[in-house]
Formats: sequence, structure tokens, C-alpha cells
Amino acid sequence: MKMSAQRLISNRTSQQSASNSDYTWEYEYYEIGPVSFEGLKAHKYSIVIGFWVGLAVFVIFMFFVLTLLTKTGAPHQDNAESSEKRFRMNSFVSDFGRPLEPDKVFSRQGNEESRSLFHCYINEVERLDRAKTCHQTTALDSDVQLQEAIRSSGQPEEELNRLMKFDIPNFVNTDQNSFGEDDLLISEPPIVLETKPLSQTSHKDLD
Amino acid sequence: MKHIINSYENINDTARNNSDCPRVVLPEEIFFTISIAGVLENLIVLLAVFKNKNLQAPMYFFICSLAISDMLGSLYKILENILIILRNTGYLKPRGSFETTADDIIDSLFVLSLLGSIFSLSVIAADRYITIFHALRYHSIVTVRRTVVVLAVIWTFCTASGIAIVIFSHHVPTVITFTSLFPLMLVFILCLYVHMFLLARSHTRKISTLPRTNMKGAITLTILLGVFIFCWAPFVLHVLLMTFCPSNPYCACYMSLFQVNGMLIMCNAVIDPFIYAFRSPELRDAFTKMVFCSSTARTTDP
Repeated sequence: MKMSAQRLISNRTSQQSASNSDYTWEYEYYEIGPVSFEGLKAHKYSIVIGFWVGLAVFVIFMFFVLTLLTKTGAPHQDNAESSEKRFRMNSFVSDFGRPLEPDKVFSRQGNEESRSLFHCYINEVERLDRAKTCHQTTALDSDVQLQEAIRSSGQPEEELNRLMKFDIPNFVNTDQNSFGEDDLLISEPPIVLETKPLSQTSHKDLD
Repeated sequence: MKHIINSYENINDTARNNSDCPRVVLPEEIFFTISIAGVLENLIVLLAVFKNKNLQAPMYFFICSLAISDMLGSLYKILENILIILRNTGYLKPRGSFETTADDIIDSLFVLSLLGSIFSLSVIAADRYITIFHALRYHSIVTVRRTVVVLAVIWTFCTASGIAIVIFSHHVPTVITFTSLFPLMLVFILCLYVHMFLLARSHTRKISTLPRTNMKGAITLTILLGVFIFCWAPFVLHVLLMTFCPSNPYCACYMSLFQVNGMLIMCNAVIDPFIYAFRSPELRDAFTKMVFCSSTARTTDP
């Protein structure tokens, strides 16, 4: 860019101003034409200051909007159950933290909740009646938390559908940071590849 | 480089009033350091993915694409500085045909790196979006072959566009097309990530009482988008101002900070591996294995 600007200077007198942007990313833009600094109404760095302030305001505004979205979604649950939930989420999350075989998942003792949600996933893939099956599964389940979540929402079927729509381990974040510290940075590939039902449906699409 | 700037000022001192908005000059050492750091980091990312079989998944291919474009951007800066130093010391003629051709080639390298970065960030966001919203069908939607095809199409398009933009850079529509890619892509990524964030929020509302998790999601999202905006927007605005108001004093004062804006793009190449590639524990493990050559890292892998 600098070298092209040198050439630009030598040709400047013979060129129109429109073609002065011949080398668009040149460094020595001053040589395009004399710039008069007389009669400035505002501060000469006003574009610089305005631009950076605007940028900073935009990013901070975006952060506050996201934070507000966070706060408006706070559920009303007891703190006493929070540690229990965290433990369950931990076990659930660690269960799906590695690409396990489905039988390994099911063989895990005492993890009823993960099994129920896993059933929900399978049913969604096989296009069965999701709400009904999951209701049955979770009704049999002794997981207080999931039932509470379902009961607390106005439309249980819809909530279950939404629950099943995405990959829970990538979202459920615990203090122990088993997946890294963020919900949105999906640092692991989706684990549902390892489920047998999915592989049956996906094999026809895989190359 | 300092010699060149001094010679320019001697030539054109009478033609302009250069005392009001002096050009901000950064020492070459800073550019060299940042560029070399960018090249090394992204090379490490590429090597880690290449050597590790479990990292050869579509998600990591997209991260590699980003690493390649960042590496090209840093390489461009290094090559340009080398050419300038060679010209300074007299090995190259200032206006020879070789120099102008080399200059055009490295300019197209720069545009290629820019476009590559933009498209890589977009496909990473799209890949994450599919991961979340079509989680169960992800592996049938995003196959390795489709990934390779998409990346090939993107890089072919970027190469062709880079060459075309450099050839036709004196036309205003070219500049407008080029600079409009940035806000378009920003809006695209913003929509994807905010939608993902809203879904995460509604999900954790049902499962967990921890607002901290969503706070971390908000921070992550702000960092991802904020780094992109802060690193690219100043340069894009510079290109716009240079095209539309080169002799306006306000625009000239903004454009005096060009080297700072260029350095921000180099910084983006350095920061990107930390916010994309090294957030993945598997890639961090592969990196540790590579750097420290320890067998313990190997045994802790699942």
C-alpha cells in the first residue's frame, strides 16, 4: 500500500480526483489533495471521538440488553433445591459430556432424569407423540425438578417440546464448569451422534 | 518505513497543512510483533487440528478456516513490511513493475484475508446455530463433505473477489460492495447469536436457577461480537471516508489514525484463536499435547 502511494504521488497531477482512490488502502492518503483546516466548527477529531464513543455505547448497550434478558428470565425456585439441581445437572451433563454409547448412558445408576430426557430425545427423532411419551416418562420419574419445571409452566407439552429441541448439555451450565464456562460457546460437537436411533435416521443422509 | 514518511513530508510540505492532524505513526516493531504472534497462534491451531484425529469434525474445520484467514492477514502485514524495508534499503526500485505487481498481489492477499475472516465467522455462527436448533439432525445436516464443499466455495469466492476488488478498486461500487459486507455480516451474526442466547435463556429458566450461567452467556456473546466490531469497524469506516470525503478535514483527521486501525485488524488475528479455537477443551488438550509432548495429556483424553 505504501509503495502504491508513491506511484500515486507521481501521477497525481495528471489524474482526476475520482481516480485518486486508485489504491484504496494506501497509507499516504494526505497526498490525495491539500486539506484545509480553516473554519472548522467542531473539534477536528470529532469523527474519531464520535465513532469510538458510538461503538462503545453500542457494545455496552448490547451487553446490558443481554443482561436484562438474563434477569427477566429468573425462575422462582428455592435455594435449598439449587444445590441438588446443580448436582443433578452435573451428573446429567457429565453423562453426556463425552460421546458415550447409548447403553453406557442407560447403565448409569440412579440417573433417572438423564434417562427420561434421553427418551425424550429419541422420541423426537422417531417422530412419536412427544408430549405424551415424555409425560409418561417423567411421570414415572422421581425427579422433582423436572416435574416442577413442567408443572410450573402453563403449557407442559409445549415446554417439553422446547426442552427437547436443543442440546441440553451445551446449555446447562454448572458452577463446576464441566464444559467450559459459557453456554453459547459450543466447545464440543453435539453428542447425540452417538445415539443409535439418530444414527439410523442419519445414515441415509450421511455421505 | 520512517524514511519513506520523512521523504513524503519533505516533498509535500508546502502543498498541505500537515500540522493540524498529524499522522499517527506506530513503530514497525509493534506491527512485526503482532503479525508474528498472529501467524504463530493460528499455525498452532491448524497443526493441532491436523494432527489430532478427533478434532477433524466440521466445527473444527470452520475454526481452521478462520485461523487460515487470520494467518493470511498477518502474513500480508509481514510481507508488506519486508517489501518496504527492501525498498528502503535500495534493493527494490520504488516504481518498478515488479514492485507494483507485488504490491497488487499482497493487497489482494489482504482483501482475501478480510473476506475469509468475515465468511469464516459467519459459518461458525451458522454451525453453532444448527448445533442448537437442529441438534438431533446436526450430523446429517453438517457432514464432513458438505463442510469441505462450503469452505471450498467460500474460499474460491473470496479469492475471486479479492482479485476483482484490487483490480477494480478505483470504482466506487466496488468499495461500497466491499464495505457493505461488514454490516451485513454483523447483522447476520448478531441475529444468530441473539436467537441462540434467547433459547438458552428460556431453557435455563426451566432447568436451573442460576442466572450466572446466562450472565456468562451474555459476557461471551458480548466479547465475540465486541471484538469483531472493535477490530473491523474502524478500518471499514476508513475505507468509506477515503472514498467519499478524502479532502474533508474531519475525514482527514479520522484517516490520520489509519495505522491504529490497521493494527486493530492485526490484533483481531491474535485474539480470534483465544475466543474461538482455544475455548474448546479438546483443542486445548491437543495443543498441550503438541507443545509439551507429554503422554499424560494423551491418557486423560476420553
